Amino acid sequence: MTATIGHASVIAALLLAVWGIIAPVIGSRPGRERFYASTRAAIMGQFFLVTLASLSLIYGLVTTDFSIKYVAFNTTRATPIYYRVTGLWGALEGSLLLWEWILIIFSGLVAWIYKERHRELMPWVLMIFSIVSAFFLVVLGFVSNPFESVFPVPADGRGLNPLLEDANMMTHPPLLYTGFVGLAVPYAFAMAALIRGKLDEAWIVTTRRWTLTAWFFLTMGNLVGAYWSYHVLGWGGYWAWDPVENAAFMPWLPATAFLHSVQVQERRRMLKVWNLSLIIIAFSLTIFGTFLTRSGILSSIHAFSSGPVGTVFLVFLAIVLLGSFGLLAYRADHLKGQPELDSMVSRESAFLLNNVVLVSALFTIFLGTIFPLISEAVAGVQVSVGAPYFNSVTVPLFLLLVFLMGVGPMIAWRKASWDNLRRNFLWPSVASLLFALLLFGWNVRDFFPLLGFTLLAFVVLTILFDTALAVRARHRIAGEGIFSALATLARKNQRRYGGFIVHLGVVLITMGIAGSMGYSVEREATLRTGESLSLGRYRILFQGLKGSQQPTHFRVEGAFRVFNKGEDLGILSPALKFFPAQQSPVGRAVYRSNISDDLYLILSGFSELKENQATLKILVRPMVMWMWVGGLVIFLGTIVAVWPFRQKGRGWRIED
Amino acid sequence: MHKTRRFLIGAAIILAALAYLIYGGMREAIVYFVTPSELKGQESSSKDKFLRMGGMVVAGSLQKDPPNLTYRFQLSDGAQSVPVFFRGIPPDLFSEGKGAVVEGRIGPDGVFVASTIMAKHAEEYSPPPQGKTSTPRSFVPGQEEKRP
Repeated sequence: MTATIGHASVIAALLLAVWGIIAPVIGSRPGRERFYASTRAAIMGQFFLVTLASLSLIYGLVTTDFSIKYVAFNTTRATPIYYRVTGLWGALEGSLLLWEWILIIFSGLVAWIYKERHRELMPWVLMIFSIVSAFFLVVLGFVSNPFESVFPVPADGRGLNPLLEDANMMTHPPLLYTGFVGLAVPYAFAMAALIRGKLDEAWIVTTRRWTLTAWFFLTMGNLVGAYWSYHVLGWGGYWAWDPVENAAFMPWLPATAFLHSVQVQERRRMLKVWNLSLIIIAFSLTIFGTFLTRSGILSSIHAFSSGPVGTVFLVFLAIVLLGSFGLLAYRADHLKGQPELDSMVSRESAFLLNNVVLVSALFTIFLGTIFPLISEAVAGVQVSVGAPYFNSVTVPLFLLLVFLMGVGPMIAWRKASWDNLRRNFLWPSVASLLFALLLFGWNVRDFFPLLGFTLLAFVVLTILFDTALAVRARHRIAGEGIFSALATLARKNQRRYGGFIVHLGVVLITMGIAGSMGYSVEREATLRTGESLSLGRYRILFQGLKGSQQPTHFRVEGAFRVFNKGEDLGILSPALKFFPAQQSPVGRAVYRSNISDDLYLILSGFSELKENQATLKILVRPMVMWMWVGGLVIFLGTIVAVWPFRQKGRGWRIED
Repeated sequence: MHKTRRFLIGAAIILAALAYLIYGGMREAIVYFVTPSELKGQESSSKDKFLRMGGMVVAGSLQKDPPNLTYRFQLSDGAQSVPVFFRGIPPDLFSEGKGAVVEGRIGPDGVFVASTIMAKHAEEYSPPPQGKTSTPRSFVPGQEEKRP
C-alpha cells in the first residue's frame, strides 16, 4: 500500500513535470497569461507529490515494511528509529529520491517567493526546474525505483552499512545534496536569461543569496564528510582524494569562482560569458558527481553498487552540457562588447586570477579523477592516481588562492593607485614578513608550511587592518565605540564583512590542513597489559580489554590510559565492533582533541587467548580541530552575509 | 592586437605552469596495476615503478609476527604467485584465501615490499553466517576469528 502510493506519486509527478516543460513554451506568446499560472501549478503539484512519495518511503522505513525491497535492504527490526529515517539516504534509490525532494522544495520556494516578480524570466526558470525534476522522476519511476517490492517478504531486513550508523551520516548527505541542488537555482535563472536573451545583471542579482546559500551547504557538506571520515572511518585521516570525495568537492570550485566573478559583472559588466559558463559547469558537475558515484565506473568506498543508472546520468549530463552551451553560443551576439580590463593591478584582475586558479584546480582534480579511465581506454594500461598527485598539484594552487584572498577584497576596482596599495598592504606585508621570521626561528623551515602560514597571516592581517581602519573612521565621524561601529559596518555592508568572516574561516581550515598534513606522526605496536607506547609528548599505557554485547553488535574495547608529559589525562577506549552480518569487525577509533593537536587511537587487533594483547596504532595530528572551528566561523560569516536585516522603510529584503 | 598578444602570452604561461604541475604530480603519484603473472619475470624492469598488485592470499602461506607487525605471504592470481612482505597493520578484512590488493615496490630479491594492503570489500552485506553468533575472543588481522 505504502509502496503503491509512493510509486503512483512519482509517476503522477512525472506527468506534471512534463506539463511544466510544455506549458511555458505554449504560454510564451502574448495574451496567454494563464499558462504561467499553470506552469507554477505544475511545480507546486510536483512539490506535493514528491513530498508524498518521500514521506511514504520514510513511513515504510519507520514501520519496517519489508515488502519494499529498499526497506528490507536498509533496515532491520533492531535499527533505532532515527537510523530508519536516515535509511532514506543510505542507498542509491532513496538518495535519488531525497535529491529530487530537495530539488522540488527549492523549486517550490522559488515559485512562491517570486510569484509576482521577474515575470519575464520566471516561466523559463520553472521550466528548467521541471526538466531536471522530470529526469530524476524518470530515474525514480523506471530505472531505480525505491518502491520496488520484494517477494517473499523477508522476516527481517539486512540493515544499513554499519559505517553509516553515525550522527554525521544523518547530516552529511542532506547537506551535500542541498548544496548540489541549490546550484540549480542560479543555473535555472542563467538558462532563463539565455532563453529570453535578457542578459543584463538581473539574474545574478536575484540569485545572489541562493548561490551563497548553496555554496554554504556545499562547503558544510564537504566538511561534515571530512569530519565523518575522521570520526568514523578510523584511519586517522579526513580526506583521501577518493573519486567520490572529489565528485563532491569539484562543484565547490566553480561555485566559489562564480561567487567571486559575479561581483565583477555586477560592478563592471564584464565576464558575462565566463559567469554563464561557470554556473553551467558547476551544475553539470553535480550531475557528473552523481554519475561517478552511482555508475560504479570508479571503485570507491562510498560508491553504491552499479547498475544502469550510470548510463542514464551520462546521457542527461550530455543533454545538459550540449543544451546549455548551445544556448550560450546561440546568444553569443548578445554577449559582445563588454568593457575590458583597465589595469592588471585591480580588483577585477585579482578576482579573475582567483577564477583562473580555481578553474585550474578543478581541471587538475578532474584529470586526476578520470585519468584511470583515460589510461585504460587509450593505452590499455590500468593505473590509479594516488593522493600524492592531488596534494602536490593543489597545494601550490591553493597557496596562490590564499594570497589572492588577502589581496582581492582590499585592492581598488579599475586601477589600484600607489596610495591604495601602500595604505592597505604596507603594514600587513611588513607584519607577515616578521611573522615568517618568527616561524623560521621557531623551527618551521619547510618551504610549503612556512609559505602557507605566512600567507595565512597576511590574509588575517589585511582583514583586521582594513576593518580597524573602517572602525576608526566611524569612531571619528560618528563617535561610535568599537563594537557598535563593527555592528554598523557589518549591517551596512553585509557582503563585505560576511565575506571577511568567511575568509577567516577558510584561513582556519587551511591552517588545520597545513598543520595536520605537514606535522603528523604515527606509531604502531602490539602491547601486553601493563606495557606502554610513547609518541611525542604522549605515553599510552595498555590496561586491559573489555567485551560487551550491544543491541546490534558485540563490542571489544581496549582501555588505554593517556599521559601527557607525566600528567594523567584519563582513559581512551578504541574498540572493534563485530556485527553478526559482517565477516570482519568495524573499527571504532577514538581521539582526544585540543587546540594544538589530536591524539588518535586505533585498535586494530586483540587477543585474550594466552594473555591480553592489543595491537594499537596511534597518531598525533596537529591542529585538526582548527578545521572544525573554521567550519563554524564560515557558518557565522554566511549568516552575516545573507541575513535579511530589516532596512528602514524597505521592509524585509528577500533578494539582493 | 597588442591586447590579444598579451592575453595569449598570459594564457600560455598559465597553461605551461599547469602542465608542469600536472606532469610532476603524475610522475610521482601514478600507480600501475599489475597481476602476479604480469609481474613474474619482469621484476627488474618494474623496479622503479610504484605498483598495485591484486590477487588472492595463498592459503597456508601467511607467516606473521604480531609483536613486530610483520607479515609475509604469497599473493596469487591462480597462475603465478609473488612473495609479499609487509610491515604494519593490515586492514580488518585481510586474511588467507581472501582477495587483497597490495601497493608498493618490488625489491631486488623479487619480494614485493608493500607499504599498504587493501582488502577487497564485499559489495553487498551478507546475512549472518550460521554458527557465528558467539562472542569473539581474539582478532588479529590476517587470521580467521577465534570463537570458542
